[in-house]
Amino acid sequence: MQEIRRKYVIPGDKIIEGNFRPLSNVIRSGNMLIATRIGIAEVGRDGAKVIPLSGVYIPRVNDLVIGKIIDHSSLSWEVDINSCFSAHLPAQDVFGRDFSPARDDMSKHLAIGDMITARILAFDRTRDPMLTLQEKDLGKIPRGELLKISATRVPRLIGKRGSMIQTIEQATQTRVLIGQNGIVVVTGRNSEGTKLAVRAIRMVEEEAHTANLTQKIRALLNVPETTQEQAPNTAPPKSQEVETAIEEVEEELEVEKGEKL
Amino acid sequence: MSSSRRSAIIVEHLRKQQMWDAISKSKRLDGRDFGELRPLEIELDIIKKANGSARVKLGDTEVIAGVKVETGEPFEGLENKGALIVSAEVLPVASPHVEPGPPDEETVELARVVDRGIRESEMIDLEKLVLVPGKVVYTVFVDCSVINADGNLFDATSYAVVSALLSSKLPVFEMQDGKVTDTGRTQETPITTIPVSLTAVRIGDVVLVDPTAEEEACMDARITITTNSKGEFCALQKGHTGSFTIDQIKKAAEASRVKGEEIRAKIVELTGYGK
Amino acid sequence: MTQTRNLIDENGKRTDGRTIDELRPVKIKVGVVKNADGSAFIEFGRNKILAAVYGPREVHPKHMALPDRCVLRCRYHMSPFSTDTRKNPAPSRREIEISKVMREALEPALILEDYPRAAIDVFVEVLQSDGGSRCAGITAASVALADAGINMRDIVAACAAGKVDDKVVLDINDTEDKEGGADMPVAYMPHLDQVTLMQLDGVLTPEQFSECLDKAIKGCRMVYEIQKQALMQKYFGNELELKEEQ
Repeated sequence: MQEIRRKYVIPGDKIIEGNFRPLSNVIRSGNMLIATRIGIAEVGRDGAKVIPLSGVYIPRVNDLVIGKIIDHSSLSWEVDINSCFSAHLPAQDVFGRDFSPARDDMSKHLAIGDMITARILAFDRTRDPMLTLQEKDLGKIPRGELLKISATRVPRLIGKRGSMIQTIEQATQTRVLIGQNGIVVVTGRNSEGTKLAVRAIRMVEEEAHTANLTQKIRALLNVPETTQEQAPNTAPPKSQEVETAIEEVEEELEVEKGEKL
Repeated sequence: MSSSRRSAIIVEHLRKQQMWDAISKSKRLDGRDFGELRPLEIELDIIKKANGSARVKLGDTEVIAGVKVETGEPFEGLENKGALIVSAEVLPVASPHVEPGPPDEETVELARVVDRGIRESEMIDLEKLVLVPGKVVYTVFVDCSVINADGNLFDATSYAVVSALLSSKLPVFEMQDGKVTDTGRTQETPITTIPVSLTAVRIGDVVLVDPTAEEEACMDARITITTNSKGEFCALQKGHTGSFTIDQIKKAAEASRVKGEEIRAKIVELTGYGK
Repeated sequence: MTQTRNLIDENGKRTDGRTIDELRPVKIKVGVVKNADGSAFIEFGRNKILAAVYGPREVHPKHMALPDRCVLRCRYHMSPFSTDTRKNPAPSRREIEISKVMREALEPALILEDYPRAAIDVFVEVLQSDGGSRCAGITAASVALADAGINMRDIVAACAAGKVDDKVVLDINDTEDKEGGADMPVAYMPHLDQVTLMQLDGVLTPEQFSECLDKAIKGCRMVYEIQKQALMQKYFGNELELKEEQ
């Protein structure tokens, strides 16, 4: 294994001393690297970071988000993306360059209360995030069950290369749309499947920091253990379970930004 | 001056779809029946410095009421009665939509409607709280702080006030040499009846009891009705910008009596009143 | 304030039975207000105080936003039933002053440059007050800020020390506050070793001043341990030690 050291931290806690690069949620104070959030601190070859366990979603360019239309001016829609800033979606993005407020009725297309999947096109310290729907699979969400989870748990819910969410989808016959901003929409053929998917998602949210979450989810969904996620090519040592658990957490938590449509 | 304004909460169209789906099966988003209340929890005596206090949770809505008794002048025209002042504040901790500052029209309405239910029902026998008629009477302050707002602040606040009063230990004052003195003894609040309020909202053609914040954001109109222990009506307030049919009002009134009896029994049980 | 009666008896016990170096019992519960982004409820002796944080969030009105950092707004407010005599709900001058010193106590710990053009609102509501409520409020507010996931340089812990019967004592209660000789509330960041709030009310000799400050800092460190435990408990449950990689 690489030299990854991990521990639970709260703001102000010292992570490690020495010449490490401070990455997300870490600052340098003299010779010490300090955590600035509650979460799991990780020290690796590229530096020290803290994977946060709480906090409002802060927009990032290229993130896929699920938003709610809350207002519109003559030129754009205002979209609530469950963050500290409202985003805006220019009318031109939807109607095209020759958009005319007199001719094109904005609320017929997207009304207040409508939910959309969108991508963040632009965002910086001087202006509100700008969204686009110009991509396959983006646009108004026609139906589904809506949930809000903490944005910090989204990587865990997606899993490495989508493994966690795919497990849930397959076991419950549902399709789950996940926004990086913590908004999730579940659509399924039958209501039992949908309800079970919702329970599984809630369980991931609550136990994101624990090591044997994948097993618990599998148990909830009645999915048999597969060999894919076991330690690939080591002879079983005495602490096989611990090794497997650590690897799971490693795999899941390494995902900073999973993508899922 | 009161003016129209946009709703603070905009309900997602997906949630509205789900709500209508549920309504078609006679259920609500949280699985309740139309006439069902959320779980009610009452904790007493949480503020030791108050003469009585209660923390009520109605679903996720949470309110704390505290009773403080002092002495003062009676209200004009009510020389032979103690003074009762019920106020309420929706604290900025309670919701992202509350601005700190002087009470807005919704908070003022909340306080006055809750006060009306207690006052008009004559829950407290204020004639027993007089020291010198026309000059010195007991002043009973009941102050409510809403800690978490998830709909139906009217009922949660009212139950908190009622519970706090039922469990209060009021001081016993006496006049000695023309001055008010606290004898150190305590008395129970002189109770004549237990008012219970019930709030319902109309969404489309259905009327739902004990709305959540989300249901309130979808409502066309709201009605709060208070009944006393004899099942008589003592206070009523219709709210919001929509309307009710006469039939809906009569049904809501009947539900307030019937449901009110159940809730009264629950409050008596949870506060241990009369034991 | 000149004292009129003895507040420490011949066995060294104070009005509530404590010794001069003893902190009142402190309990903190994290995440108690469902709607808030972060929250904490603290019982500090007989103080019962609720702190809730909303943020980062949009600033209303928009012109109040700052271009390069976050706006921090703090409100300290006492419920009418929180004191011996009923308090009028409108903000008093005391509450306004405490709101200000509280904001100034918390601001150094927050990395406000991380949230330009946004606001962080901290609401501290005193449900029952018994001396030292501003320290208890700051303590709860820090925990609520961490719970809300705001980037912080350190946690802020607060505790007061004072003078009673001409002795310097830790964490004065309501009676000692009203009848004692001095009251010094202090807020402190334990890792950075920095004081962010300090006030004094009363008369202290230079030696007593030093002793009082040292005692208050000691109290802050004790309070910090309780804050840390409360946060670890909520987020990590019983697994206080993450399995370390070999």
